[in-house]
Amino acid sequence: MTARRTLVDLAVALVAIAGIAVILEVWARAFRVPSYLLPAPSAVVARMATDAGLLAREGGITLGEAAAGFVLGTGVALGLATVMAWSRPLERTLFPLAILVKLTPIVALAPLFTLWFGFGTAPKVAIAALITFFPMLVNSFVGLRSADLQEVAFLQTLGASGGEIFRHLRVPSALPYLFSGARISLNLALIGAVIGEWTGADRGLGRVIFVANANLDLTILFGAVLVLAAIGIAANALVGAAERRVLHWHPIAIAT
Amino acid sequence: MSVAIALHRVSAGYKSPVLDDINLEVGNEVVAVVGRSGSGKTTLLRLIAGLLEPTAGTVDLLGVAPAVARRRKRIGFVAQDARLHPWRTVRENVTLPLEVNRTARTNGHIGPDEWVARMGLSDAIDAYPHQLSGGMRQRVALARSLVIDPEVLLMDEPLASLDELTREDLRDELLRLWEGRARSVIYVTHDIEEAVLLADRVVVIGGTRPGRVRGEVRITLARPRTKALRREPRFHDLVEEVRGHLQ
Repeated sequence: MTARRTLVDLAVALVAIAGIAVILEVWARAFRVPSYLLPAPSAVVARMATDAGLLAREGGITLGEAAAGFVLGTGVALGLATVMAWSRPLERTLFPLAILVKLTPIVALAPLFTLWFGFGTAPKVAIAALITFFPMLVNSFVGLRSADLQEVAFLQTLGASGGEIFRHLRVPSALPYLFSGARISLNLALIGAVIGEWTGADRGLGRVIFVANANLDLTILFGAVLVLAAIGIAANALVGAAERRVLHWHPIAIAT
Repeated sequence: MSVAIALHRVSAGYKSPVLDDINLEVGNEVVAVVGRSGSGKTTLLRLIAGLLEPTAGTVDLLGVAPAVARRRKRIGFVAQDARLHPWRTVRENVTLPLEVNRTARTNGHIGPDEWVARMGLSDAIDAYPHQLSGGMRQRVALARSLVIDPEVLLMDEPLASLDELTREDLRDELLRLWEGRARSVIYVTHDIEEAVLLADRVVVIGGTRPGRVRGEVRITLARPRTKALRREPRFHDLVEEVRGHLQ
């Protein structure tokens, strides 16, 4: 059931992309658009086939950085959200700091991170983590606070401890919020990794796009973007499948 | 008759006072508290459950402070329109009270499955709350509050959100429960007839804020009671007496 849902999601996404490709193909051929302005999708696909090894390798690197950043950013966000949900004073202290982090433009930080952490994987992971952090923090914090007050009162009358209320009620109540946070953050983490590669790297899809841009090599540029999109769609489908499995009791899962 | 719940000159409120000078003693009996919406009925329950501290006076539960009684797991609580834990099945919801605060002793010699059966929900024991009707959910709420076999049962308009026929069924269910084990029950409702049908005593609170005890009516109808009582003149006299205190 869940696996079928995921496949249907993927099929729908592919059909949509194919539709756009057909329109672009017709456009490019009918008006003889030069390939340095808009390459025909068929040319992009041909190039992707030629450079499949390169795209897979660089895509894997970007995916790895984004995934590591996502896990790191999510971990820190969950920890802070727990602390903030626990204590109002800490919430008031930490939330402005979180907003400060959120408001600092990533493009300003990216070169700085490269300066601090070098040209390797670390700055890309750091940027992906940073960009993941805020949506996950807000969602998990709101989620932990969203527990039904009547149910909190019920557990309190049973003498349940704060920890028990947290485990039995607050965490499950937060799960739907965590999943919507993850949907936002996963794609952001990918973008973060690409931005990191853009500002200084010798590997990854961001680097491929950067070099292609400089050379007006648009077929490989679009190829790299398509690979990035495919990773994003697959990641989203995966989260969706996990969500339907974990939140089978939730109105969202029931409605779909 | 031993006193299980005792309120002595209790005042309470949030930003403004809600209840003032409440005196109430409840033994092994069913006391219905009636009053208009906003008269402080729920506040009274929160006080007794120890979820709210009084601004004046004392609340005593089984000879100790409510917070202590709570830690000893002596309080059953049924809210209006209980949402239960949506990620738990009926059985898991009813088992939940046994999973928390494990150090406290529970008298429960009737297991969760048996309570589910008594509420007529055996067929739905593995169902999730979203698969149940409102009436079934309230039955689960009742079962999960009784599974620890509490000495004190606090009920906050438990039938208010149900349709009339379901309410009648559940009222019968409650009447049967009262016949069984002697408990101290505080039953908050705004339905006067329901209060008279279920309770041994009806306490009317209200008036201009803060609310006070406006009157008390002893319900001398014999048990077991059935809904046929509602056609008897004596029932209507009692209902009118309660109504008189409300006006």
